[in-house]
Amino acid sequence: MPTRTILAASGLVLAAVIAGAPFVLNEGILRLATECLLLLTMAQMWNLLAGYAGLVSLGHQVFIAFGAYALFLTSGWLEVTPIWVLPVAPVVAAVVAAIIAVPLFRLREAYFSIAMWVFAEIIGAFTMKSQAVGGTSGLPLPTSKLIDFDWFEPTMFWLAGALTLGTIAALYKLMISSFGLGLMSVRDNDLAAMSVGVDVRHNRFVAFVLSAAGCGLAGALSFMGNLYIAPLAAFDVNWSVYMMFIVIIGGIGTLEGPILGVIIFFGLRELMTGPLGLSGGWYLVGLGVIAVIVMMVAPRGIWPALRDRLGIRLLDVQRTSPRPAVVLPSASQQIAG
Amino acid sequence: MIWVETLINGALLGGLYALLGIGLALVFGVMRVVNIAHGEFMVLSAFCAVLLANLCPSVPPLLMLIPVIALSFAVGWIYQAVIVNRVIKSPDPLAPLLLTFGVSVILRNVMVEVFGADVRSLQVGELSRASLEIAGLNIGIMPLLTLVLAALLFMALQLILRHTEFGRIVRATADRRDIVRLSGVKPDRVYNYVMGLSLALGAIGGVLLAVRSSFTPFSGAERLLIAFEVVVLGGLGSFWGALLGGIALGMAQLIGLKIDPNAGLLYAHLLFFIMLLIRPSGLVSSKG
Repeated sequence: MPTRTILAASGLVLAAVIAGAPFVLNEGILRLATECLLLLTMAQMWNLLAGYAGLVSLGHQVFIAFGAYALFLTSGWLEVTPIWVLPVAPVVAAVVAAIIAVPLFRLREAYFSIAMWVFAEIIGAFTMKSQAVGGTSGLPLPTSKLIDFDWFEPTMFWLAGALTLGTIAALYKLMISSFGLGLMSVRDNDLAAMSVGVDVRHNRFVAFVLSAAGCGLAGALSFMGNLYIAPLAAFDVNWSVYMMFIVIIGGIGTLEGPILGVIIFFGLRELMTGPLGLSGGWYLVGLGVIAVIVMMVAPRGIWPALRDRLGIRLLDVQRTSPRPAVVLPSASQQIAG
Repeated sequence: MIWVETLINGALLGGLYALLGIGLALVFGVMRVVNIAHGEFMVLSAFCAVLLANLCPSVPPLLMLIPVIALSFAVGWIYQAVIVNRVIKSPDPLAPLLLTFGVSVILRNVMVEVFGADVRSLQVGELSRASLEIAGLNIGIMPLLTLVLAALLFMALQLILRHTEFGRIVRATADRRDIVRLSGVKPDRVYNYVMGLSLALGAIGGVLLAVRSSFTPFSGAERLLIAFEVVVLGGLGSFWGALLGGIALGMAQLIGLKIDPNAGLLYAHLLFFIMLLIRPSGLVSSKG
């Protein structure tokens, strides 16, 4: 299929750009780009859960924290370079998600959202009490002396880039598979989906665990870049705020939306805290105002509104229904809606 | 003896927690929306009370409740009319949740920038330290008054919802928002009043909590979680259940603080989570 070829080609071009970027960009811009890419991955993971599985989590920071702490602790125990223990982060986050899903999945909608938040608060409070994981003051990366600092920033950037491209490719694959179709059918009408044999609970469970694993890995990379972790930063509810705003502004339930959302997120931040000289608080206010306006004016986000106006299709996983022989006005309206 | 005192104080604190929860429960019961910004509105009302108390030092600070309640009612009415009503008809049940979460982030950060991140509290002078001694137990006057006030408010609210025309309209709208239109009721208008009432109740809880313990612009999240836990533990739609839920949380918190002085809300959260594990069916039961 030509679309696939185009996508594969643009993926290769992007991979080449990411591979070459550290040789061109200075360290400050590279750090910013790494941050962008990691936040994009987290937003995609939050979007997988909210936009496709219909579960809004306000406690996703707990998986970021689990991934990051898992990396710091395992790296310290095994005394190897943190990069080699990275796989531990998503595994730990996924296991935690699989366990916590059992009680949480009995709850619906807002109950699930807030119960997730309470769970994150509980784990955060225990982390601050436990001296084994550094208590309130947190932990430095115990094996930072094993890191080659000449290549640290570029490596971080490459890892973040690989993670982001991999995430988007995997999500694209997932959404055009029957699993993705099942997820989307559940989101659109769970009763109808169940009646054709879609296992709603199972689909939601898989989406939840995948989303936790992705956030765990991105969180581990993010704190590895800081070489330091503290519970107040790791369990900060603002992680969920960022993920949510990026997804809401860009376009919930689309793969392109979070990309647009991240561009707006960082563009606004650099503009407001840079040239305009405003504080971080006002930046969050500005972002919140944009998100609230988008929700009221274009509830599906900016990207779907743009896409319909411009007719661009990038990573579109939407299926078009087979065209009926005679399209009645009312029927065509239903298809469009 | 010290444990009995802890339990009694926990129960009294529970009255306050029930007040935090009742506004949230009202909005959820009527329009099926969890107003995530509820905690931030409570903190905002506490800031208003502190500002007013500083402006007029001769007036007893607790009298500031009256203008703050009126202001909160107006804010709630406008908030519902301008923002929440616009997404409430959305077929997506997540829309109001996300929207109110966005509003809570805006409010929190505006408060940080305008009032600063310092720790504050509302000073009421002698009253906050006064206590009664009954059978060897020390019981604070202020917490006792709060519990009595909470019980009175719950009774009043129940009477209003049961026996007045406004109450009947609200209950009818909660049951069938599409059908009440046939009787000439505008659901959006009803929602405006309900949100106003909810934030007015929240203001009472917010101001009284500001007397009891200090607050910062970041306290909204804590207050929202407590309010939510009260509502879920108590069962939806039941005001007396909310009172019980609040008392259970208040006791859990104070017993926790006795064992472990810097636990904060950890034990209240744990109680909520354990209840979630052992009797989930009771927790999600809802009024029709």
